Order: sequence, then structure tokens, then C-alpha cells
Amino acid sequence: MLELIETGFLSILNIETIVIVFIGVALGLVFGAIPGLTAVMAIAICLPITFGMTPINGLSLLMGLYIGGVSGGFIPSVLLNIPGTPSSIASTFDGYPMAQKGEAGRAFALTIVFSFLAGLLSLLVLIFISPVLASVAIQLSPFEYFAITVFALTMITSLSDGSMLKGLIAGMLGISLATVGFAPIDSYPRFTFGLPELEAGFNVLPVLIGLFAITEILKTSSDRKQIETKNIQTAYRLKDLGLSFSYFFKQKWNWLRSTIIGVTVGILPGLGGSAANIISYVTAKNQSKHPETFGKGEPAGVVAAESSNNAAIGGALVPLLSIGIPGDGVTALLVGGLMLHGLNPGPLLFEQNGEVMYGIFAALLLANAFMALLLIIGMRFFIRVLHVPRHVLLPIIVVLCVIGAFGVNNRLFDALVLVLCGVIGYIFAKLKFPVMPIVLGFILGPILETNLRRGLMHSNGDFLPFVTSPIAAAFLLLAAGSFLMAIRKNRKRSATI
Amino acid sequence: MKTHMLCPVLLASALLFSGCTTIGFHAPTSGSEKKLPSASQIDAYPNRPIEIIVPTGAGGDTDLGARLLGRYLGEEMDTSFIVTNIAGAGGSMGSREVLEADPDGYKVLFFHNNLLINKLYGLSTFNHNDFKIAGIALMDHGDTFIVHGDAPYQTANELAQAAIEQPGELSFATEVGGYTHLQMMAFEEATGADLKPIDVGGASDKLVALLGNQVDIVPIAYGVTADYIENGDFASVGVLSSEQHALYDNTPTFLEQGIDIEFEKFFFFAFPQETPDAIVARFSEALKEVVENNEAYREQAESYYTIPTYIAPEEATRYMDDVSHSYERLIERLETQMD
Repeated sequence: MLELIETGFLSILNIETIVIVFIGVALGLVFGAIPGLTAVMAIAICLPITFGMTPINGLSLLMGLYIGGVSGGFIPSVLLNIPGTPSSIASTFDGYPMAQKGEAGRAFALTIVFSFLAGLLSLLVLIFISPVLASVAIQLSPFEYFAITVFALTMITSLSDGSMLKGLIAGMLGISLATVGFAPIDSYPRFTFGLPELEAGFNVLPVLIGLFAITEILKTSSDRKQIETKNIQTAYRLKDLGLSFSYFFKQKWNWLRSTIIGVTVGILPGLGGSAANIISYVTAKNQSKHPETFGKGEPAGVVAAESSNNAAIGGALVPLLSIGIPGDGVTALLVGGLMLHGLNPGPLLFEQNGEVMYGIFAALLLANAFMALLLIIGMRFFIRVLHVPRHVLLPIIVVLCVIGAFGVNNRLFDALVLVLCGVIGYIFAKLKFPVMPIVLGFILGPILETNLRRGLMHSNGDFLPFVTSPIAAAFLLLAAGSFLMAIRKNRKRSATI
Repeated sequence: MKTHMLCPVLLASALLFSGCTTIGFHAPTSGSEKKLPSASQIDAYPNRPIEIIVPTGAGGDTDLGARLLGRYLGEEMDTSFIVTNIAGAGGSMGSREVLEADPDGYKVLFFHNNLLINKLYGLSTFNHNDFKIAGIALMDHGDTFIVHGDAPYQTANELAQAAIEQPGELSFATEVGGYTHLQMMAFEEATGADLKPIDVGGASDKLVALLGNQVDIVPIAYGVTADYIENGDFASVGVLSSEQHALYDNTPTFLEQGIDIEFEKFFFFAFPQETPDAIVARFSEALKEVVENNEAYREQAESYYTIPTYIAPEEATRYMDDVSHSYERLIERLETQMD
């Protein structure tokens, strides 16, 4: 095993490949940092460029883009309260308050350190035990996926900011939004009002970027005081922050838990980095001894959110690189990348192309290191964004968001969805409705429905297997428990008021 | 203008802009509203990049086929090709984009059998007859049914027998109303087998479901699963094409095994209907040259388990008419059976 990894490193440790990985990570960070542009887009754009490269170089570039694209998303989350990608939504919750307290540098330091460590651990998991994990993952049937999704949906209760009723309404709105378009399984058109544009439904990216970025921009621009540049004093360089080792060491269990959640959620198809990000944030908050500090600049919140999305990279690559099967949008594109170079994804990938495969592992490890390095060097420049006047910065972001939304599917319709979701988000904020449950409902609703209906096809319409499968039953019990707990907490709170 | 008003104003104009174009977009466009190219523009064709619309996501067989062809067609026609993915609604989103495009030859659709099937199932209101076909470029003769490597049935006949003996028991991974669903129904009709359709998702999800023993039969392209057949995880009971082919390890066809079903996946280029014949002809000639004579292209296409096959526009249209009729008859027969 170690010999093979050594061979892998030997195949990428030449100037050309190192430079390619470096460029990939740098470009990925840019795509990640710009709201609306994502890792998927970076890979889709660069895929044709890899045509002319050797397999190792081409795939190294794509891996660099992937790691960079996921990692860069936290930058605007912390600085502007606008997530750069859907997988850094939860990073805004505590990252932005930290920056407002003048602790942007600390938020960056935490993110860089724990993203790097989480990425590293998840890649080691990928390299050493992925065949075992993949063989467990393929045993899961729609019954288990349904139960896991129900459990994840109960997270809405923890994201409701006080009013359970408002949270549930928002969650249902999210689920309803996701039902627009052709239904799963039988392609029955729902809520299309005869408009062909609606047949494909709403895409995740414009909805999420609209709800967060556009809403935030509307909020800021409607408040005159916010527009004026605040003079937040903050340190720019890692060494000026005066952080001690124990500041980081305190987060070790939080980091480990978030990384495990990230890897697990990454392996399960359909959920992806955005769900990992939110789920591990909520878990960290629920497990914390002082949950009330979350949302007000709690370092643990930043660590949980940012460890999990990087850990999800290794997770998502588990099924791809062990049994040759893609689990999400990015890995489906990577399959295209493999095939372009004559590598047919499948169980014989390692036997037939061992050198390239271990080269990919080595490239991933190298990209992870470059990611940390680039961010450490870059943070002193990024943080200065805080001093750019808002009336200059925000219009530029609006334009980039619209370009990003259009780029998802090359349809102007998605740009319209983006703006409409921004307006909905703004109205919600004014009415003090929480936005997170919309997001969770929107992401999880279709997974829930699809697996429910697939499960019913399996069981010929019988609901019993949903509760007799041990794993499914365990998750449903967990979901019920989590829901009851939330109700109790809610009662207690209203009793004290 | 006050600076704090800038963002809302910008947003409002973005909204208006996208709103107007979106509404203009789905309004019925008849030929007269479209901008026809002038004679000099036709002569100069192509003098700017041509956009290939792929109505599926990036990374799949349609996408890879389009990108590869685009690269070599670009060399042949001395222009560049850009591939744009417009996924959604089973391919109807992207197809509609070309249907309603200006007929100037700079936007072309690359798609497969699903264009015909979507109309037959009422998922879209148009099919190949609403376009001007520029030819078939590529065939996949490797549509196959695979089963677990240690399943008690390893040939098409054994599979049919097993399915007849235990009606409604063997599960078949498919999308209801999709291409593979037609294959399943044709198999049932030809053999009298009774299978249980189960939706598990796309091609890769089907492989996972078969690996995890959640389904019994998976219809899939041979190329996607060749590795699994080689290592014994899965076995192919036969291919659905008209004859065996070395590219698919000479797997016997269903026809050879006495089961009269035949499916071939074809990939074609199509322009908006009003496109001038001269433009379509120029494109078709270049396509013929690349597909039939460009060895570098042919070799690469075969490495994706697809067979470069050029069929000229009129013949391709007739071929697609025939295929569409055979699908239609199949669906009709099954509907009357159900009644």
C-alpha cells in the first residue's frame, strides 16, 4: 500500500504537475470565493482543457479545482455574511459575527487549520479504508435513505431561532418549492402552470445563493448605516493574531465529530457538502455546553461548519475511486474526466490504472496542502475586503451572482429565480422568519420523496419495511427523539417567559 | 442616485431584464419571428463559433460524444465548437432551446432516442420532425441487460424462463416512461415474462443497486459496465443490437437467442426547422468526413464503447421515423393489453 502511494507521489512530483495542481487550487479558490460560482462550474469549464493533458496532469488539475472550490467558499461567508458556495452556508452563522467583532483573522486561522486537518483525515480515510466504506454504503436501500433523511429534516427544529411554528412553516415552504417541475419516478408535471421553464424545477444553486447572497445585499442596502464602511480593526497575518496552541487544541473533539459527519454525509449520494455543513453545525450547537453563544461569533461553530465541508470531499470520492461510481454532481463530472483519458470507471480501475489512481491520491494530498498555504498567504489580502466600501462591493457581487446563476444551466430563467428568492428571503427576514429551514427542506425534500416512492416500489406499496429494517428503524427513532426533545425545550422556554 | 439605492435598483433591473426575456422565451415562436440568415451569411458559414446544446448534464455519454465530435468538427470546419449543457425535464429543456433558436446554423442540438420517447409519453410536445436533422453521428450498439455474476440465469432465455416461473418477482431497474422502460416492455412482450419495474436512479445508481443486490436485472450501456463483467461481478445476458460486435466482447444478441427485440441508441445533430438547407448540408458534409475518415476521432469514440456511424440527413430522418413508429406501436399494444 505505502509503496503504491510512493509511486503515486513519484508520478506527480515533477514541476509540471505541481504547477498544475497549484493553479487548480488557486483557480478553485477564486471560484469558491465568488458567490454563485462553485467547484462544479470550475470543473465543468476546465474539463475540456484537460483533453490535451496526460491523464495524471488532467486529473490533478480537476482535483485541485475540487479542493480549492470547496475551500474558498468560507471567505465571503466570514467577511460579508454571503456564502461563496452552498457548502459554506453554515460558515456565515458564526464566521460573520466573529468578523464583526474584529476577529476575522481568527476565523480565517481556525478555518484554514481545521479545513486542512479535516481534508487530510478524510483523504486518509479515502486512501486506506474506502473499499470497506463503499461496500457498506451500497447495502443501503431506499428504506434507510428515507429514514436518514427524515432524521436530517428534524434539524429544522434546531435552526428555527426560537419559533418552532415559523421554522416548520419555512421548512414546508422549502419542501414545496422543491416539488415544482417533473415529479421523481413518474415525471408528472407539478406546479408548472403551463410554463415549460418550470418543468425542470428550481435549481439548488440559484435558490440558495438568492436566499443568502441577494437577501443579504438587500438587507445591507436598505440600511443606510450599514453601507458606510465600518472601521473594524483586525490583524491580517497569522503570526500577528497571537493564537496559542491551546486555542486550536480545544476544538479537537468538535473537529473530529464534524469530520466524521462530513465524510459520512459525503459518501451518501444526493446530500453533499451543503447538507454536511449544516448538519455538523447543528450537531455542534446541540452538543455544546453553551449553545446560546452559537450565532454570536462562537469559534466552535466556524470549526464545525468548515471541517465538515472539506471532509465531505474525501467522502464523496469514496464510491468514485473505490468502485468507480459517482455520488454527486462533482464526482459525475470527474467520471467524465476519467473517461476522457481512457480510464473506465469501475472495479478494475485500480488493477488497470493503479499508477494514475495513486497519482490522483497524491495530487489530492498535495492540493490540500496548497489550499492551506494559499489561504495563509492570501488572508492578509482577503481581509482587507472589509474596508472596501459596500456600495462598490455589493453591486459587483450582484453581477457575479447573476452570472453564476446563469452559468448553472445556461438559462436566464435561473437568474430570475435567483432574484425572486432574494426577495423572498428579504421578506422572510423582515417578518423574522428563519431562512435555514427553507434550505434544509429544499435540499432534503426531493431526496425524501424519491426514496419514499422507490421504497414503495420495492415493497409493492407496503410501508412496513420502512420500520422493520434495523438501520431505518434506528434513524426513525432518533428522529422522533430529536423532535420530542425540541418540543420539550420549546415548552420550557415559553414557560420561563 | 444615492449609493444606498444602487443595489435595489440594480436588482430590479436584473429582475426586469430576466423577466422580459423569459416571457419572450416561451411565447410561441413561429418561423416568421425568427431571424433568417442572409445569403452572404449563408455563404460565410461558419465564420464564428458553433454552440452544441447537450440537453443532459456534463460528464455522461451524450456530453462526452458531443465534446469529442465538437473538437474534430472544429478542425474540419475551421471554427470552434462550444458545448453547452442545458439539463432538465428529461432533455426537453435543452431541445426546446434549439427548437426556438435563430435558424442560422450556430446552435445545434446533440441528443439521442429520448427526443422521440419524450413526445410519445407526452413529456414534450415536439420530436425529431420539428427539427431539421443534420445526420446521425454515433451509435451505441451495446445496450444490454446485466444480472449478478452468480445469478441462476446467465442467458436471455434463462432469464425469460426464470421471469415466467416467478411472475412479478424479478425486479428490473428502470425509469418509468424512459428508454429502458420500453426495453423492459419489449422483453416482456416478446417472452411473456412478467418483471417488476423499480426506479433506482441513473446509470451509476443502477450499478450500485445491482452490486447491493437490491435489483435483479439492470439495463445499461455495455461500456459503463465492461469492467464489472470482466471481473465477474456482473454478467451480460445479451446485447439488444442487431448483430454482435467485438467492441462489446462479441456478446450474443437477443435476436440470436431467439428473442425478437432490438434497440440501438443513436446520437444525432439537429438544427431549428427553418435553417437553410445549404447550412445543414455544409455541416453534414463535415460530419461525414470526421465520422467516416478521421482515424483519430474513430479510435477515441470506440474507446468510449460507441461506434462512429454516419447516416445522411434524409436517411436519418426516415430511420428515426421508423424507430418512433416501432416505439409507438409497442406502447399502444401494451396500453390495449392493460385495458
